[in-house]
Amino acid sequence: MNATQLHEEIKETNLSYLLLAQNMIKQDSAAALFRLGISAEVADLIASLSPAQLIKMAASNMLVCRFRFDESLLFSMITDYSKDRLMSQPHAAILVAGQPVEQLGD
Amino acid sequence: MRNKSVIDEARQIHFAVEMIELGARLQLLQEETSLSRERLLKLYKEVTGRSPSKGMLPYSTDWFISWQPNIHSSLFMGIYQFLAKNASLHGLELLIKSYRLYLEQMGVSGEEPILSITRAWFLVRFLDANMLQLTACTACRGQFVVHTNELYEDYVCGVCRPPSRAGKTRKSAARQHPTPADILKVS
Repeated sequence: MNATQLHEEIKETNLSYLLLAQNMIKQDSAAALFRLGISAEVADLIASLSPAQLIKMAASNMLVCRFRFDESLLFSMITDYSKDRLMSQPHAAILVAGQPVEQLGD
Repeated sequence: MRNKSVIDEARQIHFAVEMIELGARLQLLQEETSLSRERLLKLYKEVTGRSPSKGMLPYSTDWFISWQPNIHSSLFMGIYQFLAKNASLHGLELLIKSYRLYLEQMGVSGEEPILSITRAWFLVRFLDANMLQLTACTACRGQFVVHTNELYEDYVCGVCRPPSRAGKTRKSAARQHPTPADILKVS
């Protein structure tokens, strides 16, 4: 994959993420906060973006969304897999629910 | 206490219907709404097509501590607190939203949602009354439901350290293929 291709892919991923997020927030904002792991302010901001702004924001060489399953969580999910496959998903959800949300900085 | 506002009453009926659909007991609705018992009874019959079940509500705090219920309860509380903190919801709306997300999570995981909405409501009340509390597991740092006023310095949750018989119910045994050891056990 060359650089142009990579940028295209990132742009597309960003755009689908932002569109999905917008849809989720408009449909059920409370559930969207939980699913996206963002603060109400960030959600308001995403919901208020116009299509033109959305495209502008998506056109970046960086992804706009972040990986939520950080070290300890991922570790426990992997170890749980062998121990008890049934409960590892609810477990991961407990841990994700306890994580701080993405917030707007100052 | 009678409420006069029609809009407020409509809101309460809306929440009550949603709660009944989720399987809430009548006593819970009496507690949470200002609708009269007669109206709630009528509403209940209209929504479910049958009379509400009678008898005692599940009052015990111990249920929330046993292995599988504890994981379910902790997940529900995690969602509940997340929404209380980030979505500024409260009251019945908060309970219903959290419970729906809990149901959804269980559907995704292929688990039976063993926490009923009535139990979920009790769980919230028990935490408010300081009969139960949340404590962090020292292994995974997740928040889990525990009894208040016990020592939890080295608390490890039920997923990180499951008891030996955990999850081995008759139902789960039927779901899985029997191993040679299982066959020996039966005979």
